[in-house]
This record gives sequence, structure tokens and C-alpha cells, in this order.
Amino acid sequence: MNNKNISSNKNSNEADYIELGKFYFLNDKYDEAVSEFKKVLKINPSNAEAYYNIGLIKETANLLEEAKEMYSKALDINPDYKIARGRLNKLIGIRY
Amino acid sequence: MEGEVSMNKKQFAVIGLGTFGYNVAVELVKKDIQVLAIDNDNEIVNRISPFVTQALIADATDEKAMEDAGIADCDSVIISIGENIETSILTTLIVKELGVKNVIVKSSSHWHSKVAVKLGASTVVYPELEMARKYADSILTPNILEQIELSKDYNLVEVVAPKEIWGKTIKNSDIRNKYGINIIAIRKQIPVINDDGQSDIKKEINMLPGSDDEINQNDVLIVVGSQQALSKFKDNL
Repeated sequence: MNNKNISSNKNSNEADYIELGKFYFLNDKYDEAVSEFKKVLKINPSNAEAYYNIGLIKETANLLEEAKEMYSKALDINPDYKIARGRLNKLIGIRY
Repeated sequence: MEGEVSMNKKQFAVIGLGTFGYNVAVELVKKDIQVLAIDNDNEIVNRISPFVTQALIADATDEKAMEDAGIADCDSVIISIGENIETSILTTLIVKELGVKNVIVKSSSHWHSKVAVKLGASTVVYPELEMARKYADSILTPNILEQIELSKDYNLVEVVAPKEIWGKTIKNSDIRNKYGINIIAIRKQIPVINDDGQSDIKKEINMLPGSDDEINQNDVLIVVGSQQALSKFKDNL
């Protein structure tokens, strides 16, 4: 397998785990969802979407400080992540 | 001055455009209220001018200037000169003498509040103290998300549903008998996928839930009760 294929497989795995995580999240299986997003971060610690989704799960569980931390991590990686910015601002109390 | 004054809408004046006054003025306009914003700082008045009905540079302790500004025609006046007590008190006196019934004063101390009430202020707000109390509560009890004082003895509290009542109906939770508080709403956070394909959370509120409505993990309860009853409930969270 050449380098290009390895990289492509890695991306495909990340996307698969993200989709599976979202599926679990939508079905209220939060622990399973977090586990999928953590698999993504193991492959790629700079995946902002995984941090954002873990943040959503923490917020759903009313663990607001942990949610803020996850949204902040997503924004450190991708400062233009609009939906993460919106959720963090709401939690901090900034409306605009 | 900018904007047009309509006779049908409520008219408010905000005197003192520091952070509090500025934001109150802008928020009132968003709620379709006509707002006359006054400050003696040229720069602040220019900054707020596009966002309010009228913006005016004036000295709030000049009775004639306040009269000319049309303060007497306002339904309510908010005096947010918290950092300068003398100016705030003098302005409150002038506004009351101009005949404004509803005068709201932003206070910066206990004595400031007392004087404002003596002069006829209908409401005194002390945002720093209110925020400090809320913040202290939220540090000590992270499960309390919001707390609103309804009266001297009664509060409304937003609280994360305690584990002991997950999966129970309101009736079976026995919360009313056990603590003497009433659940007036249940807020649920529903996972959704938005139009862009991104996961998100939608909040749904069940207002006035019935006794057979179930309380689940992650629900937020909006409860009303006496301070004593709520303290008892909070101690068990």
C-alpha cells in the first residue's frame, strides 16, 4: 500500500467514525457516540468536528464546562467553525 | 438626532450609555420600543446613534436640557449612571420632577438604591450584585442553571433533573410532597442533524407538564417554590 492509499484510508475511517458517532448521538446513545468520536481523535487529534460533537454530547448532558472546553478545542483547530462558535457563545452568554 | 417618533409605540429614554445603558437601549429597540438615548459623551452618542430612535448629547443634570429632550413624554426612563452616584441621584430627581412615572435606576451601592427609592424610583437594579449572587450559586451548585427571584420568598429555578427521578413521572417522583416545589416546565435537549448535515441540539419545552409526563436523563426542570423548599431540594442534588 503506498502513502496515498494509507492517507485515503485514514480519511475514510475518520469520516466513517464521525458518521457512526452522529448516528449514535441521534439515537441518544451518548457513550457509544463519544467512543466513536474519540476513535477519530486517536487517528487525527486535529479533527475539529470530533471535538465539536463531543461538545454537543456534553451540552446535552448539561455538563456545560466540559462542553465549553470541547467547543474551544474545535475552534482552536478551526477558528472559522461557525456552528461551534455559535454554541460556545451561547454557553458563555455572548449573543452576538 | 435620528429616526422618527411614532405615537403608537412605547417610548423609553436611557440616560447614561455605559455598557449597561448602551445594551439596554439597543435591546429595547430590538423589541420595537422607541428609545431616546442620552449621554454627555459625544463619541458614545455617535456610536449608538444608528441603533436607536434618537440619540442626544446632553448633560442629564441640566433640567432645561432634559425638558427640551422630551423626557416628560417618555413612558419609562432608565437612568444608568451607576458610577457617578451624585449625577445619578440628581438626574433621578429631575426626571421625577418632570413627571415621569416609571423610573428605573441602575444602582452601584446599597445607599444609592435607598436614595433612588426615596426619590421615587419605581425599580432599582443592581446588576453587579445580582450577577455576583447568581455566580456564587452556580459555582456552589453547578446543577442550578438559572435562578430568578419572583418575590422576597419565592424563586424560579432551572435545575438539571436529579438522577433519583430519571424515568419517573412527575406524580411518581413525589417532588411536590417531598420538597414542596412545583415543576412548571420540562426542557429537553433533542439531538438533530441540521440542513447542512451537521449535528446540533434542539431545545423543546413542555410547558405545564401533566402529572403523567416522564422526567428523563438530561432533562432540565423549571421549578417554582419558596426559598426554603428550594434550598431543601438543592441540598439533595
